[in-house]
Amino acid sequence: MTLGTPHLGGARGGLRRPSQAMLVISLLAVVAAACGGSSGAASSSSGLASSQVLKFPAFQNPGTWDPGEADAEVDTEFMQNVFDNLWRFDNSLNIVPDIATAVPTAANGGISSDGLTYTVNLNHNATFSNGDKVTAEDVLYSWDRAVALQGPYSSNLSAIAGYAAVQSAAGSPPASTTGSPLNFQQSIENGLWGCFRGKGTAGATCDSSLEMSGLTAPDGLTGYTVQITLASACGWCLAAWTLEGTTGAIVDENVIHNDPVNWWTKPSSKTDGMVGTGAFYLASFIPKQSMVFKAVKDWWGSPKPTLTEVDVDIKDPSALATTVAAWKQGSYGIIGYGGDSGNLDYPTIESIKTSPYAKDLLTQPKGRTTWLSFNIGYPKTGGPFVGESAAAVGLRKAFDLAVDKTGLATTVCHDLLCTAATGGLITKGLIGNLGDGQDPLAAYDPTEAKQLLKEYDPTGALTANLTYSYNTGGLNDPVAEYLQNEWQTNLGVHVNLNPVGDASQFISNRLGGQYVMSRDGWQFDYNNPQDWYANLWGTFATAAGANTSGFDDPTYDSILNQADAEPISQSLPLYNQLATILQQDVAYIPLYYSVGNFLIQPWVKGAGSNTGFDYYWDQISILSH
Amino acid sequence: MSRASSFIGGEAVPKVTRGTLVYIIQRLAIIALTLLVVSFVVFVVVHALPGNAFISQRVHGKTLQLLLHEYGLDQPVLIQYWNFLKGAIHGNLGVSLYIRGEAVTPLVLRELSVSCELGGSALIITIGMGMTFGVLAAIRQNTWVDYLLTSIAVIGYTVPSFVIAGLGVMIFANFLGSVTGGAFAYSPVWTGTYGTIGELWLPALAIGFYTSGQITRITRASMLEVIQQDYIRTARAKGLRERVVTIRHALRNALVPVISILGTTVVGILVGVLVIENIFGIPGLGKEFVESILQHDYNVTVGVFTIFALLIGLSNLAVDLIYTVVDPRIRY
Repeated sequence: MTLGTPHLGGARGGLRRPSQAMLVISLLAVVAAACGGSSGAASSSSGLASSQVLKFPAFQNPGTWDPGEADAEVDTEFMQNVFDNLWRFDNSLNIVPDIATAVPTAANGGISSDGLTYTVNLNHNATFSNGDKVTAEDVLYSWDRAVALQGPYSSNLSAIAGYAAVQSAAGSPPASTTGSPLNFQQSIENGLWGCFRGKGTAGATCDSSLEMSGLTAPDGLTGYTVQITLASACGWCLAAWTLEGTTGAIVDENVIHNDPVNWWTKPSSKTDGMVGTGAFYLASFIPKQSMVFKAVKDWWGSPKPTLTEVDVDIKDPSALATTVAAWKQGSYGIIGYGGDSGNLDYPTIESIKTSPYAKDLLTQPKGRTTWLSFNIGYPKTGGPFVGESAAAVGLRKAFDLAVDKTGLATTVCHDLLCTAATGGLITKGLIGNLGDGQDPLAAYDPTEAKQLLKEYDPTGALTANLTYSYNTGGLNDPVAEYLQNEWQTNLGVHVNLNPVGDASQFISNRLGGQYVMSRDGWQFDYNNPQDWYANLWGTFATAAGANTSGFDDPTYDSILNQADAEPISQSLPLYNQLATILQQDVAYIPLYYSVGNFLIQPWVKGAGSNTGFDYYWDQISILSH
Repeated sequence: MSRASSFIGGEAVPKVTRGTLVYIIQRLAIIALTLLVVSFVVFVVVHALPGNAFISQRVHGKTLQLLLHEYGLDQPVLIQYWNFLKGAIHGNLGVSLYIRGEAVTPLVLRELSVSCELGGSALIITIGMGMTFGVLAAIRQNTWVDYLLTSIAVIGYTVPSFVIAGLGVMIFANFLGSVTGGAFAYSPVWTGTYGTIGELWLPALAIGFYTSGQITRITRASMLEVIQQDYIRTARAKGLRERVVTIRHALRNALVPVISILGTTVVGILVGVLVIENIFGIPGLGKEFVESILQHDYNVTVGVFTIFALLIGLSNLAVDLIYTVVDPRIRY
């Protein structure tokens, strides 16, 4: 030991320089690495930046970009820039021509006097990104295929004559024994190939049972006129057919035929990949990592895109902090595009609002309403709210009036993430919204609530052991706690909370009527009240397995059928009657309308959002900065 | 001259004996069996979880039944596993249910390579920093260098990697970014499949700093023991330079206990990868690990778990084989 110390002492001198050098090198490496990540932005004196590449993050992976099967908002937000429908929604949600030359009306002869036949003329200049011309057969193919696939939005085409027959003919897919969905799409493609693009080619056969009888091309398949014949009058169809990125989108059979399942995952090429008619095409897709879209050269539509490229990084929501930091550094142009306007949380928004970036925060009400559903029509599930007895309705009313909706928006949403739903189920800014304060169920009256409870449940036996179910995450947890507190405070009723961690399980149970009280909501698809009143209540919803509350009223169904057949100018009063029926029945407790938040760099011009979707990329340009 | 003393020369190169080969084959067989068990258990468990990848407000009822049928998810789970296994043997892990139809094998292999880049970088930092600090602390025992480096080590293994990551982003991205107007800051954006050094260093450091603390402690303790051995004194008496004595003779013998914890260190790094990839949005297996479970993407989940099991099995095997290189006394 005594010898060791001098040795160590000796060693100290020998290793001093290396040890110091190592520490210094380590420090330098860290500083150099930090420097390596720095970003810089090229700028010029005025006008547009030399680089027209927009970059933003997406917090969700695409599920499918096949318009026949697409479901999620994230998918349609991207696809609206790659595919076109016959018509499109403009920034104010008006329906305007897209591939069609005009929006059909009775006045311009586009709609027959009985309202059953639509004649659509196609833009002769419309082409796919691979150069294929768009003709009538592409419309027929796209819509027939979408109906045969029976995807989540196939019902948007349900009013067309022959819809049910095609779905019946397409049948169910054979059971996969490999876990791969090869057979169904392939068989549909094989059946349609001989009807359209492949007509006359060797070996191609046409399965005419997959063609809707109400969809024809009076000038021939390679002509530019499409005639749509409805089985019954439909006032909402035009809006539904306009919903972009879904069943109304026009796709190219030439590329789908080469790979009916995975065509949409591949970059666009002449004969393969995700080919559409939109202003952008898919140049690269690395699942769960990134997507690159490039502007179509000499695109046929307008406005012509200024952006040359859109780069999207796919991130997990837990990467929000680093993503916002990158946005502040200018690495991203936008946060919130791609269906992610709900991802900015309150602390982040609050910190942005008190920073120099406050001016770059765009707050936009979105077309989502959240409410509470009672179990009204599922006796097996039970609970005190089942049925239409005075007690059941009175207790529903008691629980409704006990909740301060404005207080919820303030307490839970900090008046930033949502607003109180006081104008009915349909979100503010959409057709069918009743106007601020017009929904009587939005009232807050704890005194009357208490009286109703005392009247209909004097012993408290009926409302003992009630449970409110919800899927966890986002605002749902604090909303549940808020509701629990309101009922406890204003009614003296303790309601148990049932947080369900798995959203798909929650939705499945909820749609199956398994909850006495549950969180419920809807994000609109197209700007027509039918989207709400048909899809959520009544016979249509029940048949589709989507009637959460089990609400069933023959009067409601009758008025709904009548309204659905009328143009919106005549159907709106009828839809408002439906709102009144639901209110009188106290079928729900209105809670809040969602608000989206975007971070948009001041040098990203033309970006924004409306109630429904992001502004199209062909409206955006990058200013010099 | 004992085996240990003959090892002082540092020139001993272990031969791959028949026993070693048998040992490797046995271990590989055990790993294969482990993968089979892991894949089966995970497959059954994830399929037993309520919900599935398709259900949404729009996908239910008949539409849902069609999709389940189309992807074979309405079959008994054992049949599904058998179908999965048949494909997996040929390297086909099936298709993603979330990104409909996307092949899982190339997806998880790409993500594996990304995680290997991050994990490998973290391992380099772990070993490099841990051993450097450990050696320096040992040869400067009871000096300010020792106190500083052991303090850093203590901080390292007591502060979780996600805290270090958060602090790093605050300092190098937010603070430096605002102070320098964004001209001199860490940019927390992963721009491609693989990260550049500028993108990689902070997430790798966040993982490596945490795991290096343990290495520092073990290395220091081991070095302190070794440098007091007779053969070190002998080496010095032979007139060898101190650097040669320290690195070639002392450090190499001090490595054995360090290597013994490398297996658990690798597991620690894998756990760190799970967390850090999510924070930095790195498109690797760690991010997939959580995502695929939440998304009910069964085939991806099974693939990720199986690959993690494979990584742990192979890294432990590698550690055991490295023993024989560092210490020729160890034979299989």
